[in-house]
Amino acid sequence: MAMVDYYRPLRLNQVDSSLQEEIKQACGVDVELCLECGKCTGGCSNAHIFDLTPRKIVQLVKLGDEKRLLNMDSLWTCVSCQLCVDRCPSHIDIPRVMDYMREKARKKNVKAQRQSIEIFHDLMLDSIRKTGRVAEAPLALKHNLRTRQYLKDADLGRRMFFKGKLNPFAPKVKNVKQVQDLFAKTIDKKEG
Amino acid sequence: MNKERVVTPEKMFPEVPEKIFLFRSCTGSMEYPGTENAIKEVMKSLGIEIVMDPDQTCCSGYLLTCSAYKPEFSLAVTARNLSIVERHGLDTYMFCNGCMGYNLELAHIMHEHPEYKQMANDVIAKQGYHYEGKTEIHHVQELWYRLKDEIAARVVHPLNGLRVAVHYGCHYLAIQYNILDDAGYPTFHEEIIEALGGTPVYYKERQMCCGYSVGRGFTHKETLVQPHLYKKFKSAKEAGVELMTTCCPGCNTALDREQPNLTKRYEEEFAIPVIDIGQLIGLAMGVPLEKLGFDANTIRMDGVLKKLGIGKGDNHDN
Amino acid sequence: MTTKLDKKALVVGAGLAGMEAAIKIGQAGYEVYLVEKENNMGGVTGQLFSSFPRWENPRELVDNRIQNINQIEKIKVLTGTTVKTARREGDTFVVDLQKADGQVEQIVADAVVLATGFELMDASVYGEYGYGIYPNVVNSLEFEDQLREWSAAGSKADRPKSIAFFKCVGSRDRSKGNPYCSKICCMYTAKQAGLTRDLLPEAKAYVFYMDYRAAGKEYEEFVRSVIETKHIRYVRGRPSKVLPENGRLVVRAEDTLMGVPIEVEVDMVVLAAAIVPREGTKALAEMFGALTDQYGFIENVPFELRQTGDRVFFAGACGFAVETAGAQAQGAAAAADVVALFNRVPQGVK
Repeated sequence: MAMVDYYRPLRLNQVDSSLQEEIKQACGVDVELCLECGKCTGGCSNAHIFDLTPRKIVQLVKLGDEKRLLNMDSLWTCVSCQLCVDRCPSHIDIPRVMDYMREKARKKNVKAQRQSIEIFHDLMLDSIRKTGRVAEAPLALKHNLRTRQYLKDADLGRRMFFKGKLNPFAPKVKNVKQVQDLFAKTIDKKEG
Repeated sequence: MNKERVVTPEKMFPEVPEKIFLFRSCTGSMEYPGTENAIKEVMKSLGIEIVMDPDQTCCSGYLLTCSAYKPEFSLAVTARNLSIVERHGLDTYMFCNGCMGYNLELAHIMHEHPEYKQMANDVIAKQGYHYEGKTEIHHVQELWYRLKDEIAARVVHPLNGLRVAVHYGCHYLAIQYNILDDAGYPTFHEEIIEALGGTPVYYKERQMCCGYSVGRGFTHKETLVQPHLYKKFKSAKEAGVELMTTCCPGCNTALDREQPNLTKRYEEEFAIPVIDIGQLIGLAMGVPLEKLGFDANTIRMDGVLKKLGIGKGDNHDN
Repeated sequence: MTTKLDKKALVVGAGLAGMEAAIKIGQAGYEVYLVEKENNMGGVTGQLFSSFPRWENPRELVDNRIQNINQIEKIKVLTGTTVKTARREGDTFVVDLQKADGQVEQIVADAVVLATGFELMDASVYGEYGYGIYPNVVNSLEFEDQLREWSAAGSKADRPKSIAFFKCVGSRDRSKGNPYCSKICCMYTAKQAGLTRDLLPEAKAYVFYMDYRAAGKEYEEFVRSVIETKHIRYVRGRPSKVLPENGRLVVRAEDTLMGVPIEVEVDMVVLAAAIVPREGTKALAEMFGALTDQYGFIENVPFELRQTGDRVFFAGACGFAVETAGAQAQGAAAAADVVALFNRVPQGVK
């Protein structure tokens, strides 16, 4: 896999189009349509803190640099605001590509640069699996415990509790068993 | 106007529905139950019946972007939820941008690719559900824009030129098909505010994202969300805004709850109350205060209510 | 063999291409009806303040052509006139012209040249740029008028301190605009930016581009001289937002060469909107049996570049975006086709 390192520039003849094809098959996104105009990054909500901006992400798909894409911090700081695809003259669905890369990163067990994200996602899924809904109080509590930020949000939580807005018990939906069934058939199913 | 994507309100609602299905939102019901209540009251006042169903689950929106992107799961959940609506024979109305955006996208995928719809139906058939794809998905604000004149006629507490700013939220405007208004320069919320007697303020960062989406509000609060919101609120403050409205409970959470943190961190006062547009319409239409649930707001509404001549805790129409 | 000088041609549109066609057909001795919708001849070229690549005054060119026309008796100029209906009768067209005084005149023509020119796409489709919303966001033709105003005005009050030029607004855009390239915007934007710096020496100018296309004689040198001597900041990146701030406008884009998002505060934004056929071209094409493409531009028949139908020819920007020199050349070429048609000699078998 070609990578940029300090001693040798990227060798284009060693780059193949397998990542580009994969993205095309899996996400229906053809990066060849990119005009490299930069309107995506120009409007991106978080471009100023991304390490790799939307246009660069599309370029990396063309260059087949999967490793860089799986390890980038932007993968987890993107808020999916959809502005990039809305402004793109070629309608390239960058949020879809991000979703796909996130799934791949999880599957390949690539450690996110910020650990708290994975913990959060596990907890989120867990909440839905158990109750069918997202219960934010237990979620926030567990997240802060697991990331060892014990006192984070404590003040907020206290205020919310005394206002009667914090339900420490997560209410379940009527047919929770069905939700768990859905999980069993899809996400939790062992990859065949 | 981006002509292909944008539809006029008359085209979207050739006939105003008499009965609608209101889709419950996780964040909406838990963080701001007042929003849901206000919407019900406003609809009642407009003569539209609301139907809800406890069988309906989370929209799975978070999951779609939280690295749990598996077509099977999200599609199955969407199909299941929408099939519940179809059982009632109604169209789906959401009051959360997230619910609406995700459901619309997934429903569109199932519509374009029948094999995905078949796959989703196979999974939920075992539980006795079947999704046909007949129900239309809308946001309640679209209905309000369509009924702008009826709402204006029912205003009993005109806003008296109150300076209101709008936060549209990203997931509504950035949907790629069949939306009201232009994502490049939306104005329909401002028009509703004018109909209520307020003064809409077009501040510089009006179309900026709130940053809370997909859990960033938890995982990246200090690094990403707060600097982001600081920029937004600074722009709103400079424009002289007294109230901010939004149409997404998720955004509402971000904008409302983070302001005290911003005040502390940046040593500048940020105290702009943020409510849902449904609550504002309810307020103007004379819905009693205890039904609007402003107690859930971190930034108090007292100042605004006093200015409008609606006393705090006052049950009577002033 | 005597030539049949009683044949008549109808030229629709008195822009540069139409005028050229009329002149050449008239000089060959045939009668020409030169019909123009506006009250003056000259088309878009007559509205321009300057031209590339030699910084000439287009008005001089237009006046020269008009003078030529006035000297050729055979050309009948009908301004403020439109084509109302047209039908074929044998080898001729019977055309009803709606004139400026409200009268309808019927003429008979043996060949038609369509030269209806272009207009700019409505940029309000791009809500993010604020055309039609903020008063200081204008398109390039409106800006050309502005340049003339600044050149003529005595006082320097109320001049913008900073101007941004956006290229490719509605061109090279599959999602909201047209996928094609409008060919001349890179050149005229360089011209307008250069003139801005000459007329407003204290003002800053920024050009936001994706490429700059300068394929023509002296074109590359022209753009380089603008960039290198006029102190204009060229930024590679299509802008994503124009936001109002304190009475000014903030442009947000990415500098794609560095890969960083940037922002710049300006007083005015000039949009180089896409070139589209003038309204009414399609209807006109149908009347005369001319071919059009999916964008409404007039299309040629195979192997004959200036012919679009039986006895129907075309020239200028109604066929596609083209610079003034090209429009003039196409007008002359269309005239040659018409004259060849009128003079057609039966070819014997060898």
